[in-house]
Amino acid sequence: MNTGRIMAIFEKDLKEFTRNAMLFTTILLPIILAFMYSRMGGEALPAMLVYLIVGVAFSAILCSGIMTMMAEENEKNTLRGLMQSPASMLDILAGKSLVVVLMTAVSLIISFLIMDVAFEWSIASIGGLILLALFFLNVGIAVGLTVDSVATTSVYLLPIMFIFGFTPMIEMVVPDSDHFIRRLTDYLPLYQNISLHGEETTVPLLILLAWTLVSFLYVTWAFRKRMSDEVK
Amino acid sequence: MDRVIILENVKKHFGNEEALKGMTVEIAKGEVFGLLGPSGSGKTTTIKILTGELGPSEGRVEVLGRSHESFNSTQYVKSLGILSDNSALYERLTVKDNLALFRKLYNTEQTKVDQVLKDVGLEKHIDKRVKDLSKGMKQRILLCKAVLHEPEVLFLDEPTSALDPGTTESIHAMLLKIKAQGTTIMLTTHNMDEATALCDTVAFLNNGTITDMGSSESLRQAYKTNEIHITYRNGTTRHIQRTIENRSQLEKALFDPEAVNIESDYPTLGEVFKKVTGKELV
Ligand SMILES: Nc1ncnc2c1ncn2[C@@H]1O[C@H](COP(=O)(O)OP(=O)(O)OP(=O)(O)O)[C@@H](O)[C@H]1O
Ligand SMILES: [Mg+2]
Repeated sequence: MNTGRIMAIFEKDLKEFTRNAMLFTTILLPIILAFMYSRMGGEALPAMLVYLIVGVAFSAILCSGIMTMMAEENEKNTLRGLMQSPASMLDILAGKSLVVVLMTAVSLIISFLIMDVAFEWSIASIGGLILLALFFLNVGIAVGLTVDSVATTSVYLLPIMFIFGFTPMIEMVVPDSDHFIRRLTDYLPLYQNISLHGEETTVPLLILLAWTLVSFLYVTWAFRKRMSDEVK
Repeated sequence: MDRVIILENVKKHFGNEEALKGMTVEIAKGEVFGLLGPSGSGKTTTIKILTGELGPSEGRVEVLGRSHESFNSTQYVKSLGILSDNSALYERLTVKDNLALFRKLYNTEQTKVDQVLKDVGLEKHIDKRVKDLSKGMKQRILLCKAVLHEPEVLFLDEPTSALDPGTTESIHAMLLKIKAQGTTIMLTTHNMDEATALCDTVAFLNNGTITDMGSSESLRQAYKTNEIHITYRNGTTRHIQRTIENRSQLEKALFDPEAVNIESDYPTLGEVFKKVTGKELV
């Protein structure tokens, strides 16, 4: 990895991101949701709603952003040009990750300001948020390395968004909290973040860590597969 | 002779298909080498092996004293310029932003970018988005991208195919300038005029085999025949061997007012190719 090259990719992709209407409008999604929620109730917003915004931001911007950017490089044959330059695949991934992290942060900060979120962020909940961000980034990178067209990303993106991003929505689909689906979905990462605002923090953090590690293994696998395909 | 590119009995299989059937080539420093062949003959495969995009199935591949196992090193990558048949630019970004990316990745000076843009006559278009450029302009920008870090070896896969004559000419001028700076160039083409205009050495590639190799002139001479073709005003033609026995016939034709055209059989590179391989180039 080389800082100069990572920054070169970052600058290029920041321009690409802001000039790509499809990607750029994703920034607005959490903000619009936040605006709607802030209009709904006067009293303090429950953690669940805050994390719904986080889930939307992480899945729709962080995860989908890097996935789409990688897929587009592949589809348009520009990835080849980057790979034939001194930039390594890790430089490319790091530069792109910086762009989506920045965009997600901007969108979330604006959303939180609009919602006027009044709950305190403990060390554990911030740690949890970082683990969750890494999880979504890893999934986005892994899928981005696997697919070779932007159209294919939606096949992956929809389930990812629904299961991992809009997790609290599951409660509307399956209202019975004793249903086996609900027992299973209790282990989904976003629920751990919500739990982190309660008494018990160790178990949710460990579960989140497990998700992050699994997603990291997925990236490693996708990366290895991709690099071995490079020279046939 | 300082050899920059060495291919020795290189074979490449794709499943059961043998795309290269034992290719042997040596290219000297500063040489412009042209691989001429019809579609599917293995031109792109050869370039991909030399740039490290594909590994050879068999044989020795060496570029700049480096064997193909280490073609992915950053140092090697920096010494190459590549224009592939499917190279692409970032369509949403301007010419300037596209070149800025590669300038930074290669750590070269802005002055070099300005100079190559000027060389291809596109310095006025730097603020245009790539999607608004013509095909010929894009190809010239791709060439700029390939050479802005002053590579030691330049690989060009059909650099002018499907371009208008003006763009082709401007690309040729740029390549001759790069050649004059001592860069070794390997290009592939279907275009025999391009091969004649640019290449010191031309190799005919047919079905993964090099069938003949030499300077364009030496190939033409090697395949010329001794025939003189005479066309008469009434449309008939005669072919006479240029031998001492036919002297009187030839002399007669030379001063015959009915003989409107007299020419020797000096084949173009394309005709030579057809004689060697039995195939048309395009
Ligand atoms: N990745 C691949 N997998 C399978 N077969 C391939 C692959 N790449 C090339 N081939 C085969 O190898 C042969 C040579 O292909 P190549 O692309 O090198 O031809 P070419 O001379 O560049 O043709 P063109 O002038 O059309 O570009 C063809 O028969 C092609 O089908
Ligand atoms: Mg080809």
